Amino acid sequence: MRAGVIRAYILKEFKDLARTKMLYLVYILPTMILLLFGYGIRLEVTHARTIVLDYDNSTLSLDLISALEHTKYFDAHVSTMSEQEALRLIKKGDADILVIIPASLQKRILKHQKAQIGVYIDGAYPMRALTMQSYVEGEILHLAQKLLAKRGFDGHLITINQRTLFNQAMRDENAIVPGLIGLIMLVAPALLAALLIVKEKELGTIFNFYASPIGKTEFLIAKLTPVFLLHSLNIFILFLWAVYLFAVPFRGSFTLYWLASELYLFVSLGIGLLVSIITRRQIVAVVLTVIITVIPGFLYSGILMPISSMQGASAIEAHLFPVMYYNHIVYDTFLVGEGLASHKTVLYLGILALYGAVPLVLGTLLLRKELR
Amino acid sequence: MLQVSDVTVRYGKTIAIEDANLEARHGQIVGFIGADGAGKSSLMHAIAGVVRFTGSITYDTFTYRSPKEAEPIKDKIGLMPQGIGLVLYDELSVDEHLDFFSDIRGLRRDAEYHRYRQRLLEMAGLAEFGGRLAKNLSGGMQQKLSLICTLIHRPDLLILDEPTTGVDPLSRKELWEILDDNRRQRNSITLVSTAYMSEASKMDAIHLFDEGHIIARGSAAKLIDSVRPYTYEETTCEGCITFGGRTYSLQALEAKHAEPSLESLFFVNALQKGKIPPPITIAPRENPIDIPPVVMEAKGLTKRFGDFVADDHIDMQLRRGEILGLLGANGAGKTTFIKMLLGLYPIDEGELYLLGKRIRSYEDRIALKNKIGYMSQKFALYKDLTVLENLLYFANMHQLPLSKAKKRIDKLAEGLGFAQYLHSFPRELPLGINQRFSLAVAILHEPVVLFLDEPTSGVDTIARAQFWKLLHELKNRWNISILITTHYMSEAEFCDRVVVLKRGKKIVDDTPANLHATYPEAKSFEDIFIHFYKDAR
Repeated sequence: MRAGVIRAYILKEFKDLARTKMLYLVYILPTMILLLFGYGIRLEVTHARTIVLDYDNSTLSLDLISALEHTKYFDAHVSTMSEQEALRLIKKGDADILVIIPASLQKRILKHQKAQIGVYIDGAYPMRALTMQSYVEGEILHLAQKLLAKRGFDGHLITINQRTLFNQAMRDENAIVPGLIGLIMLVAPALLAALLIVKEKELGTIFNFYASPIGKTEFLIAKLTPVFLLHSLNIFILFLWAVYLFAVPFRGSFTLYWLASELYLFVSLGIGLLVSIITRRQIVAVVLTVIITVIPGFLYSGILMPISSMQGASAIEAHLFPVMYYNHIVYDTFLVGEGLASHKTVLYLGILALYGAVPLVLGTLLLRKELR
Repeated sequence: MLQVSDVTVRYGKTIAIEDANLEARHGQIVGFIGADGAGKSSLMHAIAGVVRFTGSITYDTFTYRSPKEAEPIKDKIGLMPQGIGLVLYDELSVDEHLDFFSDIRGLRRDAEYHRYRQRLLEMAGLAEFGGRLAKNLSGGMQQKLSLICTLIHRPDLLILDEPTTGVDPLSRKELWEILDDNRRQRNSITLVSTAYMSEASKMDAIHLFDEGHIIARGSAAKLIDSVRPYTYEETTCEGCITFGGRTYSLQALEAKHAEPSLESLFFVNALQKGKIPPPITIAPRENPIDIPPVVMEAKGLTKRFGDFVADDHIDMQLRRGEILGLLGANGAGKTTFIKMLLGLYPIDEGELYLLGKRIRSYEDRIALKNKIGYMSQKFALYKDLTVLENLLYFANMHQLPLSKAKKRIDKLAEGLGFAQYLHSFPRELPLGINQRFSLAVAILHEPVVLFLDEPTSGVDTIARAQFWKLLHELKNRWNISILITTHYMSEAEFCDRVVVLKRGKKIVDDTPANLHATYPEAKSFEDIFIHFYKDAR
């Protein structure tokens, strides 16, 4: 291991990155993904266009309507159109929810008879539909609770506990932005690391490595150090965006976040390294890296679906990809703050270290100083 | 002393070079010649320890059988692989390159190092360009920079793969001066492959490669002697090859013997392998046509890219039935000029007349499209169509009726000798066949003028000879005019007239015979070219 040789290569790499303007990409790409997805993905539903057909016109039905009208979740309109017409509006995509309050609703309830309220929900997007359904149910149960209280029963006989743990405000940003950090820190460093070696193969400058006495380890250190240093800065940049722009709370230890992120960076570098060893063309390396990192990074990040609710194949796959382990720690540091007190976090840190070491060792073994 | 014993290099199932044996002594320059894909590069890569091989290589007392075993002597080896500026980084300057190559070799920066480095820079003529980025250097300068980067750690075993291909003759001469100097100073072993026989003839020993084997070796004089019995003055006979004023035959002929050259080796080898190239015939035009005496005339044609003037007020005439050679170094403006003629680049200044008509607009060109044939540097063929499908596609583009097109294609395939390949895909065919079939594409619509942009680069000697025969046959049969660019100076002799461009300016416009008469001391056209390039510097 000769420091002079490594330094010369690293210096060349930095000059090349700066002069080819790749350096901009290193910092623009992660921020861009964070901004685009951070603002772009909305899981909560607000202002659902709701049509209410009120055949009862009682105080109870008016209470229900006013409840629907006074939240940001519904834009409710009381209408006199026919049911068919209202359903057609949903079909055309001009309305999301249809609520039908039957005649004699109040009368039946007062007589302790069962009553039904018709609710139609546009299910074109199942996730959205489920969300809207739970909102409507929530409003109706809430109303029922109030009614009981008024009639002299204990108002707390029915309780609806809609408290959301760790994300009390139910803010999308809190759920999405930390997950995005896991996606970005997997994709961006891997892309750059993959390109740095394949580029030399494609242009032919790899001969400078093949034909000179530089060792494999020296070469790899020289190639991966610039990517590691440049992207380490992104760990801080992304943190600042999350906390100050998206106002995500940060409850855990920053040191834990930082260390886990550096470990995770090794995982990403290892993936990039393996890709660049098996490919010959830059374009193939880019496509392959994106496929390997973006898709699992997104699916198994816990942004769209919690890992704990996955079953069978998807649960196994989620455990195979490193994203899950890192995201657990990131969500913990941002939203929970339990830190190293949790055994899971310690275990996951160990797994991340393993995921970082294996590809790097494998890459060093697979890298050959010869043409194929 | 370098000793190569039974070296074989395989890529998958293909054998690149088989059981090669070779010896070279310190102070020798050893040349590798042969067609593309003959195995020269593979053997060089094996010796440099950058590819897996079987057999063994001994350098002085050190023997290695794999790239891994070669690792300890990589300090002593300098490899310059094939391709202009291949090992250079576009975004690094000349000085930064030397720094980088010195550092990865762990050189100590003492006074001696700086003296040596300065001497290399001066020899390469790069001393004043220290700050210039590699991407802004000409092809010749890039090759010189690559060479001095390869020399900076003073290798004792220098391996250079076609360092001069595509480089202008003057830069080539300078490259050789550096090599010669290095050999004298360091007493190193130098292995060089080259496509230029004029270079090979100056080396201490030559190895002739063919289809993965070294088929002949020795000094240039000895190799030339070996083919002398088969070389005659031009005559006609059965089972022989005639090219460039000589006829080669394995049987004794009545004709007088002629003096062979290194190129003769390739022809005699083809005869010995029974690979006699088929005769080339061109049927007369189906639609005879009146052609004006001047087919193309350019007056003050100029093309600028920003501040850079690619072509600077060029006047040129192409006459009926004339082969005009357009010569010049890389970046002299040859390709740009042809692209202006074709309307691929807009003309910034000047007038262009094609077939007596001034070309002003796109409509003017469309009217003439069917009279012009063009073949580009990289043959523009569709890889996923067979040869026949490619030809039919281009016939369609020229609106030839199908029955007529088929007849014409059959006739051309027969005459140009690729009839048996009609149903093959271009990538399965040797470069020489692709080149002929690209020409068929360019002449399918019977044009009156043909523009060819470096059609012969990378093609082996025999295929090149065939191609030139074909061009002369076309000229004689069709009275066609041909404008051709090339960087093989020896090909200038086959042209009726040559124009030399230098940095966008025309510096010569004359017939080869006149030029030889003016410079009787010049042994080849290359010398004349160097003379002009130096004068105009």
